[in-house]
Amino acid sequence: MQQTNAKGFQTRRLLGRVRAWFSKPANVILLLFLVALTVLTLYPLLSMLTETVTIHTGREARAAQLSAGSIAMYHFQRLFATSENDYSWIQFYQPFLNTLLVSVAASVIAILFGGIVAFLVTRTDLKYKKFISGVFTFPYIMPSWTLALFWETFFKNVNIGLKTSNGIMASVFGIYMPEWFVYGAFPIALVLGLHYAPFAYILIGGILRNMDANLEEAATILKTPRIRIIWRITLPIVKPAMLSTFLLVFASSMSAYSVPVFLGSPVRYYVLSTKMKSLMDSYPGQAYIIVGVMILFGVAILLLNQKVTNSRKQFTTVTGKSGQISKIHLNRANRPVAILLVIILLLVAVVPLITFALESVIIKAGDYSLSNMTLDFWIGRDLDKRLDQGDSTGILLNPKVWNALGYSLGLAATCAIVAGTCGILVGYGVAKRRGSKLASLVNSLSFFPYLMPSLAFGAIYLSMSSQLPWLRGFALLALVGSVKYLPFASRSGVNAMLQLSGEIEEAAVITGVPWWKRMVRVIFPIQKSSFLSGYLLPMVSCMRELSLFVLLVPTSNTILTTMLMQYSEKGWAQFGNAINLLIIVVVLLVNFTVNKLTGASIDKGVGG
Amino acid sequence: MPEIKLTNVAKRFGKFVAVDNLNLDIESNAFITLLGPSGCGKTTTLRMIAGLETPTEGSISIDGVTVVDADKGINLPPNKRDVGFLFQNYALWPHMTVYQNIAFGLENLKWDKKKIRDRVQELLKMLRIEQFETRYPSELSGGQQQRVAIARTLAPGPKVLFMDEPLSNLDAKLRMEMRAELKRLHKDTDSTFVYVTHDQLEAMTLSTRVCIMENGILQQYAPPLEMYNSPANLFVADFMGNPAMNFVDGKASVTGQTAEVTFGSLHGTFHADYPIDLKGQECVVGIRPEFVHITDGEGPEATVYSTLPSGMETTVRLDKGGTGITAVVFGGVDYPADSKVHFTFSGRAILFDRAQNGKNVAEGRLELK
Repeated sequence: MQQTNAKGFQTRRLLGRVRAWFSKPANVILLLFLVALTVLTLYPLLSMLTETVTIHTGREARAAQLSAGSIAMYHFQRLFATSENDYSWIQFYQPFLNTLLVSVAASVIAILFGGIVAFLVTRTDLKYKKFISGVFTFPYIMPSWTLALFWETFFKNVNIGLKTSNGIMASVFGIYMPEWFVYGAFPIALVLGLHYAPFAYILIGGILRNMDANLEEAATILKTPRIRIIWRITLPIVKPAMLSTFLLVFASSMSAYSVPVFLGSPVRYYVLSTKMKSLMDSYPGQAYIIVGVMILFGVAILLLNQKVTNSRKQFTTVTGKSGQISKIHLNRANRPVAILLVIILLLVAVVPLITFALESVIIKAGDYSLSNMTLDFWIGRDLDKRLDQGDSTGILLNPKVWNALGYSLGLAATCAIVAGTCGILVGYGVAKRRGSKLASLVNSLSFFPYLMPSLAFGAIYLSMSSQLPWLRGFALLALVGSVKYLPFASRSGVNAMLQLSGEIEEAAVITGVPWWKRMVRVIFPIQKSSFLSGYLLPMVSCMRELSLFVLLVPTSNTILTTMLMQYSEKGWAQFGNAINLLIIVVVLLVNFTVNKLTGASIDKGVGG
Repeated sequence: MPEIKLTNVAKRFGKFVAVDNLNLDIESNAFITLLGPSGCGKTTTLRMIAGLETPTEGSISIDGVTVVDADKGINLPPNKRDVGFLFQNYALWPHMTVYQNIAFGLENLKWDKKKIRDRVQELLKMLRIEQFETRYPSELSGGQQQRVAIARTLAPGPKVLFMDEPLSNLDAKLRMEMRAELKRLHKDTDSTFVYVTHDQLEAMTLSTRVCIMENGILQQYAPPLEMYNSPANLFVADFMGNPAMNFVDGKASVTGQTAEVTFGSLHGTFHADYPIDLKGQECVVGIRPEFVHITDGEGPEATVYSTLPSGMETTVRLDKGGTGITAVVFGGVDYPADSKVHFTFSGRAILFDRAQNGKNVAEGRLELK
């Protein structure tokens, strides 16, 4: 009797605890996301791991002399330890070293360029600051292949690479650049470095801007020379941000696909991502091992980054007390430095657009005279009667293009809404239950898709969708896009929620405001711009995404980016350039409209 | 005008014990202060009563209704407890005007529009912030924001009002002013106030009863003057009063109600009101600074270490053979440093037992020899 009483007592107690736990929305959200993210990220990971030990049909089965579907360590042995014909060296070790080289170089370039500009903009009286800081994020907003494509079309000539035609440099100026300059490690690292320099600019600039001026003023009072202050005070304080940037750029460069494809493949310069793609068709097992290696690298970087950002806390020196930062006077150097920067930025951000525009109107490649120009590729009709290849109408009159644009926009908007909303919810849950194991687990899981190379992510979901008949077409693309871009949204969601003191919500709890109303009426309006940035980043990224969707689209005409790829594969360069320009313009337009209307900006979502 | 009852309440965060086995009866219409250094569990206690935190063990009832009981699995959400909460940083919603901030809670209670308007006007008037009705919080000074926060909290007319260090972000002058307002508000609203602070002066001046905590454990629960005069232990004695009580380590030999005490370089006889319960000899003698008198020739001699005149009173720090003793003298007197003065004790002294964690074992008169 007494025992049953005690038992009932225990159960009631337990029930009460469970009910209390579930009465907190943050707990419910975290639990839901734990389940969803486990299915959506860990399951693909596991299925990928099984692929690395499965013998696939076709060439793989024949080469391994094993029956298709059997389990073996053959791929590992083949990829890592085959000395015959230098197979391992060519297929893995060489691309691996190339990846390291390119990624490190890109990180250094990004930090130097972004960091120096961040310093000049925040700490000196540089001229044209507004223009410089406005245009600086352009390269990141534009698709990453933009610069690569520009580099190739600008510098290519008939002596190198595929030896097809001359670019502007050769045909207009008569200068034939050497191969190392146009293709391979140097341009890949440079282009990636420039593309990710905005990371450095945003992260380092953020610290410099918020840094308490007292820290430097204290040194000034102690009669420290300016240069010594920068070296001994300013640099150590931004060091963690620099390290963070390094890791972020490294991880991003490592999984970049389109840049090495444009600037490496023509001269058979491979990195892990391009090697993976080329192996995927014939030896998928080995391709998946490469994906695994890249993910391992990514995880190591994530852990390192977490360590860095945790110890960074001791450096967050924002007191908000003294806002008056004494700006360094550049004096006579001011104008030359400013003009140099403006020229570089024009080259990086504006000239590519002009080049694409130019390339989209010339009839015969390499001839930039006015007589060789036409708007036919944009607005022409019945082109097939006049040209030997290409579509029959210009892209602006082509319903296929408009359909693809609509599909792309719809997809981007869907991904943005799903990822952005989930990002806010994750941010809410993580911030509310900060410090708990559940919160940090969900936080890490939500960041995990960032580490999955897009191409591999797409490949895994493709194989997943073959088992799920309802997961097709738009639904599949939207799901993949939402999961892949969740990290951006959850980053900005977590950051925004952490800035918000818990009391703001509790003040509404006390008066009995229901949870959804607290979110909609109190929390969202206060952090509106940060949250909207969480929507903007997935939107922009999705619009210009190629490698994630390339394996998943029903037809190449489905979205703009795959259409672009199809055109360049067919060699319809003018159509390709025109669509490329269209994509860039749409992306920039979306970005600036949202930015002007809501104040949300890409800056707020990057890094963290 | 409900009473609040806490029974065996405990709160643990993992292994860390924030509040341990707390029993507290808050009578209706009281103004209770939870006092203690930061991290002592006072805010956690307040949040548990309000329902913002769930106790690991124990139960809490407000006005006879059990609002939370860990054993029975009862846990009413904050809005069902009919309470108001005033936050330390005000937690005003920055995107709403003063009017909207105050009205938002009422809209959720489904009051009709006219009633809301009347109530908000009433509060704006009561707290003298009518002219700020359409402003946003960022356009107000700290004191004005504080008033808006109070108005918002009072708007639904809660039976119990919780306040978490509401004055700590204000400057000294404004804090004095708001203290007076809060005390008046307590009388006007007829509600029970529970107030968290680390400022003993605030606790002394405002509350009907003080609950002093250290490391999650209740040290003493008594009216402020009683706590000042008869602190339960060294911690309470040290925390209450500014300048702090003088403590001098010593040895005592007890015979019934009297004890011969040697402390610092001084000797004296302690006459307690009741038998002294000292375990061993180690003790601490406590004397309030206002009971140390500086004389022209009576009593032992000491050196002036420093003098801090504040106009109305003067705090003098004396050095007696390496033992520091603080005295408070009424009026502004400036004793030159290093000059020689004499001093005596009057009023009551307290004997604390080292062996019993500084427990108060005797109160009475201390005669110097």
